[in-house]
Amino acid sequence: MTLKDTLKKLTEAYGPSGEEKEVSSLIIGMVKDNADDIFEDNLGNLFVVKKGKGPKVMISAHMDEIGIIVTHIDENGFLRIAPVGGISPRLLVGQRLRFNSGLIGTVYHEKLKELKELDWSKIYLDIGAENLESATKSVKIGDLACLDQPFKEQREGRYMAKSMDDRAGCAVLVEVINRLNGELPQEACFVFSVQEELGLRGAKTAAYRYEPDFGLAVDVTLVGDTPKAPTMAVSLGKGPAIKVKDSSVLCHPAVRRFMIDIADENCIPYQLEVLTRGGTDAGAIHLTREGVPSGAISIPCRYVHTASEVVDKIDLDYAVTLLEKLLLSTWPGTEGLYSR
Amino acid sequence: MNKENLVGILLELSSTAGVSGDEAAAVKAARSQFSLYTDEVKLDRFGNLIAMKKGEAPPSEKLTLALIAHIDEIGLMVTKIEPGGFLRFTSLGGIDARALPGQAVVVHGKKTVEGVVGATAPHLLSPRDRAKTVPFEKLFIDTGYDDQTLNNYVRVGDTISFIQKPLLLETGKRITGKALDNRAGVAALIFCAAELTGLRHQADLCFIASLQEEVGLRGAITAAYGLKPDLAVAVDVTHGDIPGVDEKKAFKLGDGPALGMGPNFHPPLSLAMQQTAKEYNLPFQVEPIPAHSGTDAWAFQVSREGIPTALLSIPLRYMHTTVELLDIDDLISGGRLLARLAARMNKSYLGELRGC
Repeated sequence: MTLKDTLKKLTEAYGPSGEEKEVSSLIIGMVKDNADDIFEDNLGNLFVVKKGKGPKVMISAHMDEIGIIVTHIDENGFLRIAPVGGISPRLLVGQRLRFNSGLIGTVYHEKLKELKELDWSKIYLDIGAENLESATKSVKIGDLACLDQPFKEQREGRYMAKSMDDRAGCAVLVEVINRLNGELPQEACFVFSVQEELGLRGAKTAAYRYEPDFGLAVDVTLVGDTPKAPTMAVSLGKGPAIKVKDSSVLCHPAVRRFMIDIADENCIPYQLEVLTRGGTDAGAIHLTREGVPSGAISIPCRYVHTASEVVDKIDLDYAVTLLEKLLLSTWPGTEGLYSR
Repeated sequence: MNKENLVGILLELSSTAGVSGDEAAAVKAARSQFSLYTDEVKLDRFGNLIAMKKGEAPPSEKLTLALIAHIDEIGLMVTKIEPGGFLRFTSLGGIDARALPGQAVVVHGKKTVEGVVGATAPHLLSPRDRAKTVPFEKLFIDTGYDDQTLNNYVRVGDTISFIQKPLLLETGKRITGKALDNRAGVAALIFCAAELTGLRHQADLCFIASLQEEVGLRGAITAAYGLKPDLAVAVDVTHGDIPGVDEKKAFKLGDGPALGMGPNFHPPLSLAMQQTAKEYNLPFQVEPIPAHSGTDAWAFQVSREGIPTALLSIPLRYMHTTVELLDIDDLISGGRLLARLAARMNKSYLGELRGC
C-alpha cells in the first residue's frame, strides 16, 4: 500500500477522541505482519513493538481527531452539540458530521444579528429527523460525531482531508513499521495513542506502562506560509520539522541534536519548529515517572483543526525517512545525555 | 557562611544565564557551591540538580526531606530570522512585553551573539500608538548582523537570555538584578546547606535545583516522582511591598521570608515551620494562598501517593523584570529557618506532624 493510500484510508475513518476503535482496527490490519508484538491497553492505546537490544524508544502518533458530542435533542428532532477537542463553531457551519453508525447530519445556526454572535449555543445539527421520537431512533445524548470529508489530492503531492491531525503521523508510523526489518539497535515501540486532543491523555498512560528511555512524537504542526499568518518559520513542502518547543514540551537538547545530526548525515531536509500554542504527545511522555528525554517530528499542515487540513507529500516522505534513519541509528548513551 | 559570601554567590547566580530548557550554565554554578556542603551531587534523568546530605538516622529510622528551588529563569526563544537580520522571538515563561524594549540580550546560538530588543522610535509613531504598549509580535532583536551572517550563528529555537549586571545597592543589604526569581531560592538552599555543616541532623536531606518551573513546574514533576521524599519544602519568591500595591498582597522586604498557608500546603508542616522560626527568633511573615501557589510545591504535593509540602518565599519586588530587588537578610533568615527545620526532623517528629 502506498503512503497516499494509507493516508486516504486513515483520514476517512471515524475516530473522535474516545472512540478510536475504527482507526486502531485499520492500523492493526496494516502492520500486523511486520510487528514482533501488538497489544492494546485499558484506554485503547495501540502498541506495536519492534524488538531490539539496548534502550527503549517510544514513538507516538495520536489516532483521535477533533469532533462533537450530542448534548440535547429538541422536540423537532434538532440536535445541540458541544466540542470534543479544540474545534470552532464558526468552522462547522455548513459542514457534514458523521456518527459511528454512519448517520450524517449538517450544521447550521439560528438567526443571528451579527456573525460574531455565533457560538456553540447558536448552532445545531440537523440529521433529517422529523421529531424527537424519530431522532432518538438513530442518536442518543452523548453520542460522538466527527467531520465527514473525503480525502482529496489537490494537485500532485498536495493532500487535503479531515483529521490529517494526526492520521498523517499515524500513516508515517505505519510506513516505517512496514519498512523496518531485522533487529534494531534499540527496541522501538510505536504507540497509536488515544485522546491527545483532550490533553495528551493516552500518551500519558502509554508512557507510564512502557517506561521508555526516549520519547518521540510524530504529529502535525502549524505553518507561517499563508497570507498574513502569525510569525512562524515553518512552511509546507520544505521537509518535516524537528520540534524545539511548543506549549507542552521543551524538547530535550540532546535528542534534538541527535535528530538534527541524523537528518544532516542523510541529507534529509528539515525545518526547526517553535510552536507558540498547542502541544503534542511528547509533552506527556517527557514528564512520565522520573522523566523521559523526548523530541518530536512535526509534519507541516495548513488549516489545522478544520475540515480541510492540507499536507505535502515531500514532508511526509522525508518524515518517514527521518524516523526510519533515527530508529536504525544508535541513540546517544544515557551518560552525559541527562546533563543536557 | 557569612553575608558577604552569600551576596557573592547570589551575584554570580544572578548574572549566569539559565532560561527554561537551557539551564546548564546556572546548574554548573550552583553545583560547585552545593558540592562544598553536601555528600553527593548529581543530575537526574530530567537534568535537575540533586545534592544529597546524609543524616545520622539508623536504617530503621530513615526519612528524606526535600528542599527544592527552581533554577530556571524566564527568557526568550528565536522564532524567525528576518531579512535585514532582525530576530523575531517568543517567550519562555511569563514575560511582560512592556518591560522588553530597550533590553540588552544575548542569543545562545552556535556562538553567543549580543543584541538589543528594538521597537519603533516614538517620533515615528502616531500619538495614539505612542500611548500604547508595543505588542509582543511587533518587537524584534537587533544584533547588528545582516541575516546572511546571522544565519551562520543563530537558528530558530535558540534561547535568548537577558544581560543585566546585578548590583549590591549602597545599603549593603539589597540586591537588584535579573533571575533573582529564583536564584534567590537556590542561594537560600546553598546557605541552608552551609548552615547544616555545623548542625546535626537525622533526616537525609535532598537539595534540588529544579528545571523548567517557569513553563509549568516540569522539573519538579519528575524530581518528586524520582526522589520519593517523605516531605518537601519549596523555596521561591513572592511579591515585595511597593507603592500602589495593596499591602495585603505584598510582603515587606527585610521582615523575613513569607511562609505559605493554604490548601497547597500540609498544615502541620507549615505550622512547624512557623513554630521553628519563633523558637529561634527568626523573623517571618504569613502568606495566605487560596489555591495554586504557582510554585514547585504544587507539583510535589500530588506526586505518587502525595507528599506533605510547605512553601517558604523570599519577598521580591518587580518580579519577572531584569531589576528584581530583594533584601539579603530575608535569604539569611530563610536559610537558617530551613536548616533548623531540617535539624529537628526525624521519624517521630514526622509522625507527630502527620497526626499518627
